[in-house]
Amino acid sequence: MPCEIKQKERVGVINPIFTCQPCGAQYASIGIKDCIAIVHGGQGCVMFVRLLFAQHFKDNFDIASSSVHEDAAVFGAVHRVEEAVDVLLMRYPHVKVIPVITTCSTEVIGDDIDGVVRKLNKGLLKEKYAGREVHLIPIHTPSFKGSMVSGYDVAVKDFVSAFAKKDQPNGKINLITGWANPGDVTALKHLLMEMSVDATVLFEIESFDSPLMPDGNAVSHGSTTVEDLAGTANALGTIALNRYEGGLAAKYLESKFNVPAIIGPAPIGIRNTDTFLWNLKTMTGKPIPESLVRERGIAIDALTDLTHMFFADKRVAIYGNADLAIGLAEFCLDLEMKPVLLLLGDDNPAYQNDPRIKGLKGKVDFDMQIIWNADLWELESRINNKEIELDLILGHSKGRFTSIDNKIPMLRVGFPVYDRAGYYRHPVVGYAGAIWLAEEMANVLFTDMEYKKNKEWLLNVW
Amino acid sequence: MPYHTFKCSECIPERTKHAVIKGPGEDLTSCLPLGYLNTIPGSISERGCAYCGAKHVIGTPMKDVIHLSHGPIGCTYDTWQTKRYISDNDNFQIKYTFATDMREKHIVFGAEKLLKQNIIEAFKAFPKIKRMTIYQTCASALIGDDIDAVAQAVMEAMPDVDIFVCNSPGFAGPSQSGGHHKINIAWINQKVGTFEPKITSDHVINYVGEYNIQGDQEVMADYFQRMGIQLLSTFTGNGSYDDLRGMHMAHLNVLECARSAEYICNELRKRYGIPRLDIDGFGFKPLSESLLKVGLFFGLEKEAQAIIDEETARWKPELDWYARRLKGVKVCLWPGGSKLWHWAHALHEEMGVEIVSVYTKFGHQGDMEKGIARCEEGALAIDDPNELEGIEAMKTLKPDIIFTGVRPGEVAKKLRVQYLNAHAYHNGPYKGFEGWVRFARDIYNAVYSPIHQLSGVDISKDEIPTDTGFLTQALLSNVNIGQDETSPSEERPYTGDYDCVSKLRGKTYPKLERQPIGMG
Repeated sequence: MPCEIKQKERVGVINPIFTCQPCGAQYASIGIKDCIAIVHGGQGCVMFVRLLFAQHFKDNFDIASSSVHEDAAVFGAVHRVEEAVDVLLMRYPHVKVIPVITTCSTEVIGDDIDGVVRKLNKGLLKEKYAGREVHLIPIHTPSFKGSMVSGYDVAVKDFVSAFAKKDQPNGKINLITGWANPGDVTALKHLLMEMSVDATVLFEIESFDSPLMPDGNAVSHGSTTVEDLAGTANALGTIALNRYEGGLAAKYLESKFNVPAIIGPAPIGIRNTDTFLWNLKTMTGKPIPESLVRERGIAIDALTDLTHMFFADKRVAIYGNADLAIGLAEFCLDLEMKPVLLLLGDDNPAYQNDPRIKGLKGKVDFDMQIIWNADLWELESRINNKEIELDLILGHSKGRFTSIDNKIPMLRVGFPVYDRAGYYRHPVVGYAGAIWLAEEMANVLFTDMEYKKNKEWLLNVW
Repeated sequence: MPYHTFKCSECIPERTKHAVIKGPGEDLTSCLPLGYLNTIPGSISERGCAYCGAKHVIGTPMKDVIHLSHGPIGCTYDTWQTKRYISDNDNFQIKYTFATDMREKHIVFGAEKLLKQNIIEAFKAFPKIKRMTIYQTCASALIGDDIDAVAQAVMEAMPDVDIFVCNSPGFAGPSQSGGHHKINIAWINQKVGTFEPKITSDHVINYVGEYNIQGDQEVMADYFQRMGIQLLSTFTGNGSYDDLRGMHMAHLNVLECARSAEYICNELRKRYGIPRLDIDGFGFKPLSESLLKVGLFFGLEKEAQAIIDEETARWKPELDWYARRLKGVKVCLWPGGSKLWHWAHALHEEMGVEIVSVYTKFGHQGDMEKGIARCEEGALAIDDPNELEGIEAMKTLKPDIIFTGVRPGEVAKKLRVQYLNAHAYHNGPYKGFEGWVRFARDIYNAVYSPIHQLSGVDISKDEIPTDTGFLTQALLSNVNIGQDETSPSEERPYTGDYDCVSKLRGKTYPKLERQPIGMG
């Protein structure tokens, strides 16, 4: 069987690909303006996630903790949420949106955060903060379910459902990007602008890439507003680029407000970007302009210089968020490469029925393995046992030592990337993303040829 | 009144006694902030949890061990690859992390079977590693899995493996400090005395509270071995599991970070009568005194003095070169627990910098006591700082540089305050004579960074000099050096290598001879 799909056989995890749900909810929360989340659990659930964001973006993001200690773990800790909301509101006068994000500990002890939000809405917010716009949003993200990917999906849906409100049609589309980088959002907004499509982008995170200003007053935070979220109910339609990161919200808007939804594919590579533009055209009736034909041509031109000369038959392993990993695999195939191993890092059984996975299974004509509920040991043990030989790895920084120790070149893609400078600034989506990905893959391979003196002279006349 | 109230914290009265300013003529009785109390929810404190204190700070630097966390994936993932505790066995402990991946069904039905399968799988994946530490997490603590029983059963079935269990869930205490305590006590209760190490010298130490950040431990181990001392174990940086089981055979516990590891020293003294000697690997003077103290204990003063003389002659001219340029630089010394007192005085005395503030995230009052005693009048001391207080302090104190963690460092960056990593260092190691020069160099390069100078220019308002193509650290720093005060000719900037640690690994030392019994 050329392409097989299976689950990791071990029960445990050696070197995880993902972290847990609360991280995903926290990532969504920092995309919203005037929002500071409270994570209801131990302090590490926040401190380390903030560190992870700081490692990836080289910037600080504010997220609070309810600081659950021993007594609270025994006797219940909802009072810690009440106190946290009050302290946060007193000291951060601009804060309007406070998601209360649960963790494994507070889900296990059964804290009723929906109840405490109702209580605060009736009590504290009416009494002490009368006249101030404050939205408390309970988000259930127990760490023992799903992963950071599903946590993000749940949180986006909870934010949308908390604010979406039927009003006059606004003529916009909702574009739910999924777990993206600032560079991706810039690339997507560029495509929208070229198509003259007005969109609500969830989330506006270009501002994660914030400046260091002479007056010392800049901060990194997303800029999607409560009004943006409210308006999602009145859009022409929703395009959720990533099935598993935003798909839930798109479905919610469709079922609750009859906003038609198109879910996926992530516009990674030329073909998927073409599909995205086609979907935009279908949804809005706007034509695809000449400028994008030209832009696409620049990308095709760049790829043509690389594919059959350097990429053909190169064996690639890919790991990370499912939407990203599948998109990368499809793009690699278009580039004449062979994605021989695809690792999807959580236990979502829906991956098996994903049409794109089925497409790979039905059409790939070389030996390819797709592992779900995977960890990075699935990659490393195959290399150690010589089950696979690889020319390139695509994945995030947590797998860096697999590349380093086995001397396999690797392009950092996905989240987090902390061992390369500035990658969050570059897109992987759109035609711009196709160029970036292909050229960086080529440059990584070129550098490797030089280090290993493996036909390094080839590049003399390229 | 020495207590300092931050404007941003006026609305939370619980904070009023957590910050003090060391006033003129005041002693510690009037200026000791509260410490190690529960965190105020929603204050955006910088504290972590007791799981990370146990697993991440103390457990994982042990180098020949499978570190398995029993819980959902996040605890493992989030604490993985966020520190620089290297080892001489190719960094196994940094590269590999293990989680039982507890799922909803396990929360409902228990996860002991899952744990057992995990242990077997992990040993199978790494057949050469025969030692394991299992860390409890919030989830496994709350569902009440009996980790000890599972570990015991596996050890009985697999006699060649040994497993240590650390029950320190995230919620166990106000901060990571709770986890330090728990793992200290668990190690001595479960493992010390279960292995008989080979004693090759009459001078045997355990080096305790040392985590080999960027090679600190290896630098210090080199000094000890040059003195003729057998370094039996290190708790825990670059430390070996079985060596640490043999801690009871040492003659002396040499304690570095008293915040995180004094507990095990105190227990070793109580249970095995091994004395505790607190030392300090940072700064020429504290380090020299420390080596002499250890030397004095064993009658190796001459050996210690020889090292001090050699190292001082080699590195002092380089330290002095930086010190001349760092005089008066304002520092916020904002580490985690113990470096405020390790560093405050040594930085001031030996580099001439002014410590305008100290803070500790998880330290206790004892750490503050030592830290405040060692910093200058007027310094602001903060216990369990939170984000807004840190920002307010930086805006009022206007430090040139802060020494803190990665994320608070990013906060400082935006305020145009330079930052060095106090936990993992920039270009460490910082211990040892050479290390201290490396620290000075990092401070110098940060404070006099040409890009930092540019960051303060507002091109919309300021006049732009059109004839300055570049600046250098030297050009910027020399502004502070008087015309007549030229450096003595032997002073020079750092001349060591980018990597000053790896070369220590192949080094051979004089063979240690034991005195025959009775000849002593």
